Amino acid sequence: MTAAAAHKTIPELGTIRFENVTKKFGSITALDNVSVEFAANKINVLLGLSGSGKSTMLRHINGLNKPSTGDVWTLGTPVRSASPTTLRALRNNVGMIFQQFHLVESMSVLENVCTGKLGSLRGPRFGLWSYPRYVRENAMEQLARVGLADKAFQRAGTLSGGQQQRAAIARALIQRPTVLLADEPVASLDPLSSAGVIELLAQISREENLTVICSLHQVQIALEFADRIVGLNAGRVVLDRPAAGLTHNDVDGIYAPVPVDERVKIAV
Amino acid sequence: MGAPRTTNTEIPLPPRPRPGVNRIAAWSALVVLLTAAIWSVAALEINVASMVRSLDNAANFFSRMFPLDFPPLGELLVMTGQTLAIVIVATVLAVVLSLPVSIFAAANTTSGPVMRGVARTIIVVCRAVPDLIFAIVLFRIFGLGAFPGILALGLHSIGMIGKLYADAIEQMDGGPAEAVRSAGGTRVQWITSTVIPQVMPQLIATALHRFDINLRTSVLLGYVGLGGLGLELANALRTMQYQRGIALALIILLLCIAVEMLSGVIRATLLGRVSTDRSGLLGFIDRIAAGWVTAPRGGSEPQRTRHGTMRIAPQWDSERIRRFAGVALTIAVVALATVYADMDFSTLFDDLLALPQVLGMFLPPSPQDLLDVLVEAMLVTIQIGLAATLLGLVLAVPIGIFAARNVAPSVGVANLFRTIIVIIRGLPELILAIVFIVITGLGPVPGTLALAIGSVGLLGKLIADSLEETDVRVQDAVRATGATGIQVFFAATLRQTAPQIIAHVLYQLDVNIRSATLLGIVGAGGIGFFLINASRVQEFDVVAFIIAMVIVTVLAVEAVAVWTRRVLS
Repeated sequence: MTAAAAHKTIPELGTIRFENVTKKFGSITALDNVSVEFAANKINVLLGLSGSGKSTMLRHINGLNKPSTGDVWTLGTPVRSASPTTLRALRNNVGMIFQQFHLVESMSVLENVCTGKLGSLRGPRFGLWSYPRYVRENAMEQLARVGLADKAFQRAGTLSGGQQQRAAIARALIQRPTVLLADEPVASLDPLSSAGVIELLAQISREENLTVICSLHQVQIALEFADRIVGLNAGRVVLDRPAAGLTHNDVDGIYAPVPVDERVKIAV
Repeated sequence: MGAPRTTNTEIPLPPRPRPGVNRIAAWSALVVLLTAAIWSVAALEINVASMVRSLDNAANFFSRMFPLDFPPLGELLVMTGQTLAIVIVATVLAVVLSLPVSIFAAANTTSGPVMRGVARTIIVVCRAVPDLIFAIVLFRIFGLGAFPGILALGLHSIGMIGKLYADAIEQMDGGPAEAVRSAGGTRVQWITSTVIPQVMPQLIATALHRFDINLRTSVLLGYVGLGGLGLELANALRTMQYQRGIALALIILLLCIAVEMLSGVIRATLLGRVSTDRSGLLGFIDRIAAGWVTAPRGGSEPQRTRHGTMRIAPQWDSERIRRFAGVALTIAVVALATVYADMDFSTLFDDLLALPQVLGMFLPPSPQDLLDVLVEAMLVTIQIGLAATLLGLVLAVPIGIFAARNVAPSVGVANLFRTIIVIIRGLPELILAIVFIVITGLGPVPGTLALAIGSVGLLGKLIADSLEETDVRVQDAVRATGATGIQVFFAATLRQTAPQIIAHVLYQLDVNIRSATLLGIVGAGGIGFFLINASRVQEFDVVAFIIAMVIVTVLAVEAVAVWTRRVLS
């Protein structure tokens, strides 16, 4: 590829683009020649069975995984060849939340939120006092935003699942990200907490104009929450359409080659 | 594999899977070890008759023991302070050195396979070289004093602390680390911000555990000149002042038990749940603390202090006061100990310059004309280890069974036996060895008996713990068939836990062979006696030869034990 041609393929800032990405873990192919583009400032939902490649896709966007072949462009940076410094800068702009919240349970909620700022701080930190004052104040503000200011000094392990996920969202927000990755954010929560967390995510994403890429199990939530739905099956993109006007039937195709009883379970 | 076996009713049974070569080898190793242990008990002439014969000795000794001659209180406090200071500084040093080593040794935090290999090697070597050997070599390099003694204790401790820290790090939840990585945190940042806080309780508990062990070892190192209670004890016994010696032994015993109880309480507090429901003084403090905050009203407003600034620190409630006091006290104690340990660094530079010359004295290792004697003494050491483990096991099984709450006839019985185990664990093996030497005379028998009793403490606890961890539903199922209590015990409880018990026994053998090399220095038989003698008469090539023999033996025993445990578990 010539330099001019390479330059031409750089996507506009704010977008995320997969170019012929294949990812193999040993003999298992997790992503199979995936090419897809996520537009800026939209809520994109990935649907698919467990093992269809949703998590792997998310983890390619911030370089937690690197493609075997092909490349991922995130905010104008090619992830595969990014140096550690570039990757660090990139990750600082990409917030991520996880199914299991990933908080240090023995630490205070406030300190957990402060760790989100590590990407733009130098040197090791240990204990709340090691963070600059402005970081601690910012952390308190983010906690107020997710409705947990009164829990700031409790140990994270004492919070309920829904509260822990809110704290994790605050930890992502303190980065002031332009992209938010959410890997099954409500899969470990009961229906009521799930609704609260999704509502919060949607509200914050609109307010901040975030580019959201979120993997989900629940089709119903996806249809209500998403601007666009991307379906994955065995590492391939099998559906890529705006959410508006999509029905359960359209989405069902994503789960096609699976035995009927399994499909019923997912739809339910 | 042959044809399927059949029963009388001609229903074919599936062929029995053939046990793997490794399993057969592991079981053979166990049988060999057991046979060797029985032979060792016989060869060392540990039997009732020889004990009865030594009863005269014992009576004679007890008459010379009383009245106990305690040193003046001031002197005693100085000695105790010195011992505690040395042990505190040594343990802190060990923790400081172990932390980086364990981070490189743990699979999830290491920087690469090469560094991991280096770190693992450091841990194995530090564990294989007994503290006594570190002490002999370091005293030769730096001269007598607190610093080389502290270094010896600290270096050997890396073997245990580094290993346990690395295990704790590997078992930790990797999620928070990944979250910080995904936010752009560097390796150093995610290690300090998520790994260390997560494993902190285990780090402290392990350090306290090692503190108990180092206290005992520091007494032993008194025999090679490390100051404190151990030195006074060694001097008293060397000059046959039994009234003074036994008085000191009693004080050491009480100190060990006190420290063990104290560290037990601290560990329980650390690992236990924090109660949020406070009353009395704590509740009073908390109510005052809460008054200083004006806006914990709902979660959507940042908390503010009375002065209206945003709160970015927890209030001074009882929890924070306690944590602050704990940290402050620890720092004060360590600082005090560092000053009081009286380390002399004035000759450090010259000592290091002379290092090549001193190390040259150890090379090449040579048995001189003692090869036969040394090999025989090494064999005796191994016999002591084997015999002590077997005798310990025989005593520990019933004690462990009665100490397990789900097996003992009643909870009261279980608590009684748990208490017995705690007391036995509090007894320093060195003191036991000295008492047995007095009763049975010098030789391998007192060493074996001392280690056997020491083994009862640890093995009894491990057996009781494994029995309590068994799956009670299996026991219920067997009981439901109408089995008697004894049948339930053998068919369900013991059957479930047998692999763990074998693993514990092999671990104990490993520990006992290490200890057997050391107890020789007080005259309890085996290679230790020759080690200390060669060091006293400055034959450092012989010292080096013995060190090499000990390390090879210890590593070989450990390799067999680790391999057998892995195959059988």
